[in-house]
Amino acid sequence: MATGPLTSTLRRVLAASLIGAAGLGGLGGCGDAKSPKVAGTASSTTSPVANPDGKKVVRLAFPVAESGFDPQTVSDLYSAIVVDSIFDTVLTYDYLAEPAKLVPKITTEMPTVEDGGKLYTIKLQKGIFFAPHEVFGGKKRELTATDIAYTFKRHYDDSIKPVWRFLVSDKIVGLDEWYAAGKKAGKLNWDAPVAGLEIVDPYTLKIRLTKPDFNFGYVLAHNGNAIVAREVVEKYPNDVQSHPVGSSAYYLKEWVRGQRMVLEKNPYWRGGTWDFKASGKNPYDETIVAAMKGKPIAVIDRVEIYPIEEEQTRWLAFKNVQLDILNMPQSFIKQALPGGKVAPDLAAQGVRVQRQLDPEYTYTYFQWNDPVWGGAELPKIALRRAVAMAINRDEEIQIIRKDNAVRAEFLVPPGVAGHRPDFASNITYNPALANALLDKFGYKKGSDGFRTTPDGKSLLFKYTSTPTAIEREFDELYRKNMDAIGVRYEAEKEKFADSLKREKRCQIASRGAAWIADYPDGDNFVQLLYSKNIGESNNGCYKSAAYDKLYEQSTLLADGPERDKVYFEMQKQFEADTPWALGVTRYRNQMIYPWVVGYKKHPVLLADWLYFDVTMANTGKGK
Amino acid sequence: MLAYIVRRLWQILPTMAGVILLIFFLFNVVGGDPAYLLAGKISNPEQIANIRKQLGIDEPYWMQLLIFVKQVVTFDFGASWSTNEVVSQIFATRLPASLMIGIPLLILETIIAVCIALAVAYVRGSFTDRAAMVTCTVAQSVSILVYIIVFQYVLAYKFGWFPVQGWGDNFFENLFKYAALPIVIALVVSLAPNIRLYRTFLLDEVNQDYVRTARAKGLSENRVMFVHVLRNASIPIITNLMIQLPGLLVGLFLIERFFSVPGIGREVILAVERSDFPVIKAVTVYVALATMLANLAADLLYKAVDPRVELK
Repeated sequence: MATGPLTSTLRRVLAASLIGAAGLGGLGGCGDAKSPKVAGTASSTTSPVANPDGKKVVRLAFPVAESGFDPQTVSDLYSAIVVDSIFDTVLTYDYLAEPAKLVPKITTEMPTVEDGGKLYTIKLQKGIFFAPHEVFGGKKRELTATDIAYTFKRHYDDSIKPVWRFLVSDKIVGLDEWYAAGKKAGKLNWDAPVAGLEIVDPYTLKIRLTKPDFNFGYVLAHNGNAIVAREVVEKYPNDVQSHPVGSSAYYLKEWVRGQRMVLEKNPYWRGGTWDFKASGKNPYDETIVAAMKGKPIAVIDRVEIYPIEEEQTRWLAFKNVQLDILNMPQSFIKQALPGGKVAPDLAAQGVRVQRQLDPEYTYTYFQWNDPVWGGAELPKIALRRAVAMAINRDEEIQIIRKDNAVRAEFLVPPGVAGHRPDFASNITYNPALANALLDKFGYKKGSDGFRTTPDGKSLLFKYTSTPTAIEREFDELYRKNMDAIGVRYEAEKEKFADSLKREKRCQIASRGAAWIADYPDGDNFVQLLYSKNIGESNNGCYKSAAYDKLYEQSTLLADGPERDKVYFEMQKQFEADTPWALGVTRYRNQMIYPWVVGYKKHPVLLADWLYFDVTMANTGKGK
Repeated sequence: MLAYIVRRLWQILPTMAGVILLIFFLFNVVGGDPAYLLAGKISNPEQIANIRKQLGIDEPYWMQLLIFVKQVVTFDFGASWSTNEVVSQIFATRLPASLMIGIPLLILETIIAVCIALAVAYVRGSFTDRAAMVTCTVAQSVSILVYIIVFQYVLAYKFGWFPVQGWGDNFFENLFKYAALPIVIALVVSLAPNIRLYRTFLLDEVNQDYVRTARAKGLSENRVMFVHVLRNASIPIITNLMIQLPGLLVGLFLIERFFSVPGIGREVILAVERSDFPVIKAVTVYVALATMLANLAADLLYKAVDPRVELK
């Protein structure tokens, strides 16, 4: 009875057809007013939550179960969202700014950057306290510069299997050496100073970097660097996952694993006033500003999160008003947003949609070390480019993505600093030109209609993926596309863990991958092709001295026209070599009930409930 | 009897050894390397090696096998690789939800299926019997997924008779509110094959000489069917029932997932998705053990039901 590719396809077809049939009248109309049996439904502008103590409550769903809440060990997005609610980072993002803009979170001002981008000085606000916990002995525990330094060091604690070490590794003066010394001694010395982490006083930290890095602000805002208290870590040395104690707006009031997470306001929350400016790029920002300006930050008292894995269940729970906000499941997009607009029955209930591109893209890489597909020789470039031009992304968007994506054109996706919105790639769908390219470079067609390499060997496009329903759809598309240019296609299926292992060893000929921004800067994307990242994030093992040189040049520059020029040159080099076929950038459709006020999905900010409000029927606290 | 039980328990050992070897072989051959999944988005070979060390999968195979055997003997499977939750804690917290659906299901399904099977066996060959068998065949041909999707949509969402999903903290609320629809669906799914199976068992008995003799003696049909026929057909029914018992330990995967029931079945799916070997091996070992114990219990029940059965 376990879910598998076949069952998931069947499930989607069934669910879609059933709800479609209902929409035709067979079951009384999709989403008609009969469905919700709770108060505060049709056209209501107050939450249906019956809340005797008048607390503001928001209810959300995660599509996968959480794993735990240790900032330095959690790598899944949904656990990270909870982490972001509980723990503070040094910096955060402006709620409305487009593109994303860093702002102070626990500092009095933005860090000062000196020495050509090598020295960051952080001045902390006073009066930031961790949530109450027995380890603090009943006293209020203030967050200080020492905690930030400790958090950076914690990335090197092998016993916890840290996943975000790359954020600081090789970046902070003396940190790698501190780790090496600890490893040699058999024990990390947490009290030993690190030259690059200078604690000037409890509220001032100077971070000295090994080389100029104008993107280090993003590192300071990353939830992997969310600040933990050493006492808590020492109390639960291998289980901070289950005992998150932070200084941000919420604490974990209740956690039934895989079932529900309840966050309530940290009693020591420092507060703050909502004072963001409209971005000027989104007309709805004005509405948000009008509704939220002057309100306290984290005005919502209680956040209830329910992991609900199945798409139909999430969708019906939302329609049944058990959830206030829903990231629209792919299978039900056509029912919820026919023609891109909110379905009439939902619109009648005041539901609105926020549709935006995620800061990500998909891509299909070719193995640079493969004797047939890799390398900088012209016939090989021609082969890769021909395949890239043969893949019909429009069909992918229309059929597989259900019109819920756009073509990715540039190495830096939309919503990320360094993106060029006006750029159109030279590599477009053109099977005729792809055929001509292959003919020109000696990939001849045999009697069976399939091509051989210029030296007469068989030519095979071997694409590795997991045995899932969506990957089977890709197999069908790619097979059709490759048939059109006479390239034999083979789908290789294996477990994701096996693919990762082989990928790190440059052993996969071709695979589709996706990358979503860890931080909204182009560097997070252009590094994917840097040769020193082979075995880490450079999946196709692409190696180009020209690209590397440009990349290294870009890392020394802050975001701006000069760096954009370098990115453009990198794009040209990328297109010239075609180590990947860029795929698509997907939309996120957030469905929102009218009682949720001031909501805007931020591209990278995770715990966005600090910045919106919910209108409750009973708002009198303590009633 | 005691000697028989001891001998059967003793036989569990080689079977468990086989199970352990099979699980170990499958994990190491087709299980994939979990270190790559746990390493996060960007990791280097040193970090991968560190994770492998933490998990103990860098040890020689014989050592890993020895650790596994020790875990089975002590029933201590350590902690989940992905959540760090102790495996015994996972069972302790997830099993009640699965049992809350599984036990009522097993009871209802057995009673209803036996009653219907008796009724249709009694009118064998009639229109009612044929209609019941056609209905069962059709019902059996439909995937459980169809039942879940349709029932959830129609009964929970459209009619509002049940919650679409959820689980609470109160025993009675869970049993009568949240578990109700999952039980109904599982019942509908399991009734059809069981009715057909039990009908066959009963029909084998209905044509026996002792039934004819009982009727000739003037016993009522109720007594003939419920006392004589049912008692003699009970051995295969008990076998079928016992086969289903270990299934309680793994829950109802799809139903738990669709209705957000925090049961062991949902946890098993998660563990497989995350290559969480400690959880997977604990479940497999427990189910294997439960199967063997259920078989033993079935054999003992045979003796209780039919004194002619000899335990050798």
